[in-house]
Amino acid sequence: MVSEEIWALIQIFLFPGFLFLFFLAFFTEWLDRKIVAKFQNRYGPLYVGPKGILQPLADFIKLLSKEDITPSTVDKVPFKIIPALLLTLAVTPLFCIPIVGSSALISFEGDLIVIMFIMSLTALLVFMGGWASTNRFSTIGSIRAGLQMFAYEIPMNLAMIGPAISAGSLSISKIVEWQTRRFWSLFPQPLGFAVLTICLMAHLQRVPFDIPEAESEIVSGWIVEFSGKKLALIRLAKDFEFVLAASLIVSLFLGGPYGSWYISPITFLAKYLLCVFIISNLRAAFARYRIDHLLAGAWKYLTPLALLQICLIKIWGI
Amino acid sequence: MTFKIPFGPQHPALEEPVNFMFEIEEERVVNVKLRLGYVHRGIEKIAESRNYRQLVYLSERICGICSFAHALCYSQAVEELLGLEIPERAKFIRTILAEMERIQNHYLWLGLTAKEMGFETLFMYAWRDRERIIDMLDMISGKRVHYGMSTIGGVRRDITESMIGKIEESLNHLEARAEYYTKICTEDPSILKRTVGVGILRPRDARALCAVGPTARASGIARDVRTDEPYAAYGEIPFRVVTYRGCDVASRMYVRIDEIKESIKIIRYALKNMPEGSIRVKAPTRVPEGEAISRVEAPRGENIHFIKSNGSDRPERWKIRAPTLANLLSLCKMLSGVNLADIPVVIAGIDPCISCAERIALVDAETGKLNVWDGKDLWRYANEWYRKRYGL
Repeated sequence: MVSEEIWALIQIFLFPGFLFLFFLAFFTEWLDRKIVAKFQNRYGPLYVGPKGILQPLADFIKLLSKEDITPSTVDKVPFKIIPALLLTLAVTPLFCIPIVGSSALISFEGDLIVIMFIMSLTALLVFMGGWASTNRFSTIGSIRAGLQMFAYEIPMNLAMIGPAISAGSLSISKIVEWQTRRFWSLFPQPLGFAVLTICLMAHLQRVPFDIPEAESEIVSGWIVEFSGKKLALIRLAKDFEFVLAASLIVSLFLGGPYGSWYISPITFLAKYLLCVFIISNLRAAFARYRIDHLLAGAWKYLTPLALLQICLIKIWGI
Repeated sequence: MTFKIPFGPQHPALEEPVNFMFEIEEERVVNVKLRLGYVHRGIEKIAESRNYRQLVYLSERICGICSFAHALCYSQAVEELLGLEIPERAKFIRTILAEMERIQNHYLWLGLTAKEMGFETLFMYAWRDRERIIDMLDMISGKRVHYGMSTIGGVRRDITESMIGKIEESLNHLEARAEYYTKICTEDPSILKRTVGVGILRPRDARALCAVGPTARASGIARDVRTDEPYAAYGEIPFRVVTYRGCDVASRMYVRIDEIKESIKIIRYALKNMPEGSIRVKAPTRVPEGEAISRVEAPRGENIHFIKSNGSDRPERWKIRAPTLANLLSLCKMLSGVNLADIPVVIAGIDPCISCAERIALVDAETGKLNVWDGKDLWRYANEWYRKRYGL
């Protein structure tokens, strides 16, 4: 009995809980920076640790130690809590993702819906964070973040529902289990996979959809007033969102931690790295779109494609 | 609701110290106010206390990127005053240097514009290729930015046989890259979306607002000093003035990429047909009384230097009109009505270089009297202003 509790604590705090996720987040950021640097003919991080692998951690610690400025005109309470909330909301859904074995740490019928809800909340928090900053650039950034949410939210959720329909369950663990019994959802639902990847890029606010923080247009958009610890938390939250995005694709479309002879966490990580590679690759290949381009594109192409995918699932019955 | 957004003088997208105050309505610009005057350096005033030979080097410092164009323009003006005929070989070397500078400027521009579009990869690629041409300039002149090549009466260093092979090699590389960029910029949908139809400057407006250089040529106006009033060796070298009729940022991009290709052809022709002989003639230190105007097609557009001499060894007045100053009015025209997200791309489209364009002249609105300030006046004004503002 006692050993079971200890086992649960280890799972939550060490593996595959907080500690593992923290390292995964920093590692992902490093990998992303390295991959993009490679594509852009640069070196990327080099100095901290072997091949600069500790650079994200060093950046995080450096930001924590920096002066934390709260401008006099900001809306103080939301300005203070939003970075922490963002981080919390980015970490929480990761516990619903099965990394070891087919069952996640927290698994219940409907956790997919919860994840969708939390992802919308993150977007709303971004909007509020920019709005509370009362800076002209961040106001524009937050308006863009809100508009961007209208663009990608619906196709993203439709694409995430696809595997749930074929598995007949709204639990991510059950979707993964179904995929291990049958086949990866990627094969019958390539359209859903593509739509989800594109929408997640928009959700992560990465090039070509880094519209709310377009550095060359509105300085850094909604983040512009955050500094010190708050900025550190926001950046960490972004890393976690990246982890969440990649692991969602793995769980929903690539069969989660199963599908090879190796033990499940390694399989999961291999698939995860593939997803990170795809997303980073896309980041290096485009110029930034304008917000109206994104809205038009999302409603003209992404939403109909996601709907078409769901129709196809129904027609083929898989 | 209109919203006022300042752009600059400190802004990550706009390294140039200029201030635009945009009035925005739902991400659309309805009004632009331009404010200059953050980096006035008083170069024209300094010039009055230096002799002609020293001023060649000062003229290079007007602009970091088109340094050779300014030095060339200045040297030509002084040579005209002296009635000096420079050797043919010097003319060819000047042409080669000017075209190399154009290539490096256009690659720089391509990279910067890509960065404004949020296309970092293209930015990195373009700047890496720019290194090749900078290396060549370094090999010829010994410096990467301020070449110190042009002087009154010719050029200071020769292009030797051993250099020609290396230059040819880099030119081949750069030509292949220019073809590659043409392909990217005409085919990549995300670039096309950000540039086609953005920042329109109609030919009529371009003519009325005296646009110069690639900005004018992208609006279909074949305005180029190299053919209109050939200087250096341009009269003997066949080349095409690149024009496009799109009137938008995409056309400005294509004009510049095509100009890179044309410049490469010009350099090849000049290297092949370069006459033998000396590279400079001796010039006297005193310049006879008179006035001279010299025009040079700098990478950014037409560059005008005016020199008035009073017979001593230093000029009485030296007036510079850098291309950016001529293009600023067109820029304001382009900016009205664009989307907020397109502002950086449109501003980058004219290739602004504000430090070259800065000057101060106070005009009395009632009498129309013009009063030019020198460094001392500016110093006094700045001190007074801060004292008044902060109660020091």
